[in-house]
Amino acid sequence: MASTPRKPLIQRSPMPGLGLSMGITIAMLSIVVLIPIGALLTRGALFGPENMWGVINRDRVWAALYLSFRLSFLAAVFNLVFGVLLAWVLARYRFPGRRLLDAAVDLPFALPTAVAGIALTALYAPNGLFGQYARDIGLALTGTGWKIAYTQWGIFIALVFVGLPFVTRTVQPVIEEVEREVEEASATLGASRLYTLRRVIWPTLAPAALTGFALALARAVGEYGSVIFIAGNIPMRTEIAPLLIVIQLEEFNYDGAAAIGIAMLVISFVALLAINLIHIWSRRRIGNV
Amino acid sequence: MSTPFLRPRLRGTLSALTVALLGFAPVAHAQSLLNVSYDPTRELYRAYNELFEKHWLAEGNSRVQIETSHGGSGAQARAVVDGLSAQVVTLALAADIDRIAETGKLPTDWQSRLPHNSSPYTSTIVFLVREGNPKGIKDWGDLTQDGVEVITPNPKTSGGARWNYLAAWAWAEKNDRDPKEFLTELFQHVPVLDTGARGSTTTFAQRGIGDVLLAWENEAYLALEELGEDQFDIVVPSVSVLAEPPVALVPGNIGSPEQQKLADEYLNYLYSPEAQALAFKYFYRAWDTSQADPEDVARFPEIDLVTIADFGGWGKVQSEHFGDGGFFDQIYAPK
Repeated sequence: MASTPRKPLIQRSPMPGLGLSMGITIAMLSIVVLIPIGALLTRGALFGPENMWGVINRDRVWAALYLSFRLSFLAAVFNLVFGVLLAWVLARYRFPGRRLLDAAVDLPFALPTAVAGIALTALYAPNGLFGQYARDIGLALTGTGWKIAYTQWGIFIALVFVGLPFVTRTVQPVIEEVEREVEEASATLGASRLYTLRRVIWPTLAPAALTGFALALARAVGEYGSVIFIAGNIPMRTEIAPLLIVIQLEEFNYDGAAAIGIAMLVISFVALLAINLIHIWSRRRIGNV
Repeated sequence: MSTPFLRPRLRGTLSALTVALLGFAPVAHAQSLLNVSYDPTRELYRAYNELFEKHWLAEGNSRVQIETSHGGSGAQARAVVDGLSAQVVTLALAADIDRIAETGKLPTDWQSRLPHNSSPYTSTIVFLVREGNPKGIKDWGDLTQDGVEVITPNPKTSGGARWNYLAAWAWAEKNDRDPKEFLTELFQHVPVLDTGARGSTTTFAQRGIGDVLLAWENEAYLALEELGEDQFDIVVPSVSVLAEPPVALVPGNIGSPEQQKLADEYLNYLYSPEAQALAFKYFYRAWDTSQADPEDVARFPEIDLVTIADFGGWGKVQSEHFGDGGFFDQIYAPK
């Protein structure tokens, strides 16, 4: 053949409406996501990489970034375990009040985060319902009252709260789809329960669970509203990175705020990329089995 | 063959963009006024707006719509800088209004346009302690005793907290203490740094954290009134600051001569005996006592009050103390 016809940039689908739906998609994405992030990056570029590094490379900023990402990761791991468990219970068992419980999982989505933060603080403060027990137990064991609110534990609890629905809601439909016959076949072939769980059920859940984990992590990293009430906000100890951004804004230091924002964006991007790579790797491995 | 598809696709994109952008045009009111204020003035301006509307109608004017927005002083100033169309700003710090002036929306000499540095009411910083003052706190020096926990918002995010910080600084200077050392020691006694004054009041009053709350005087009285006089006491330190929350007209956001007249009158009337009485009632130290309830005036004890001018003005204070890498940042810098 002398010349192959050039492939069109966008493959035409037999479904009509490509132009319109693509237009709406790009318009909405631009207005809501692409332009704001582009503006952030432009701000950083104008500020200059050296200046940005000057803002970021300070003990207090590193401490806040480390705190934010460490606690977000731990909260996402916690949510991964308990979110899958919760999804399992909701999908597999029938018990009174199941629908109510099912609906309650979505509450962290709907509740304004400030309300959640204040409610959690009220519960976990030293004079709160749970906080007083922590204080008394600590007093009995070590002589000093343990504190939950206004420590890193408080931040952890708030982050678990905001991230909980993500894992459950991504895993639940997958569990509902899994054929019981597959498990039964595994059992009749002589696999132990643990083996079935590890080799039959987990591989089918893993992609959804990882997606939920990534969502919960991303959500926790950016969380401000609820954490601000329950964290003590003491620099170097309980100061989260989003608060540092707000502080820069209070000083009308837009460039400094953009620098820390970009640092968070980059770290988040790397983290999400890593999760995606694990995704691909695990899919390939399962595919080979 | 891609060209024939291009045009319908482009048209589709454009029409979608048009749909998405429709309905975002701002609506303008001729006789309306937006007052952008800070957090603790909520109660004061709710009452003042009512008083002013009565006065405005009594003067033979037509009905107007006055709105007030509250939030952290710095955040509010930033909103105006970024384009919030406030005709009047009533903020916690002159420095915040200075930031708006830098955009050219109001003249840089705005503070000399109205009496008393454009501050129709003032306040100061006092201590709120638990009932009976169990830790025996009487003055700034007592705050750094062993076992005393102090609640204050973060000076970086709260206008009120900057006054707290400056009052402590002023006391240290007057008592031959090294102010930097004293403040470093003081902030080691702070277990929670809330972002705003209201947050700190909640932490202290509702959550039961800390032995003493550094608070606006008006906020402390309000806490007593709302939460019960049998739970807290107000302690007045020997030295404090004269906090002047200033007000200003923003000519850059004035739409018409009528609105100009309305905004002018809104601010001028703040200095009237009636409005001043109202400020006293809401626990502000105002200037004109002629119509105020003598009881409202008598509850303010005399204090040695330091003004911001004694510190060299906000421009200097802001960069030296609260700027990036300033004295306050050094307190938390790892040794």
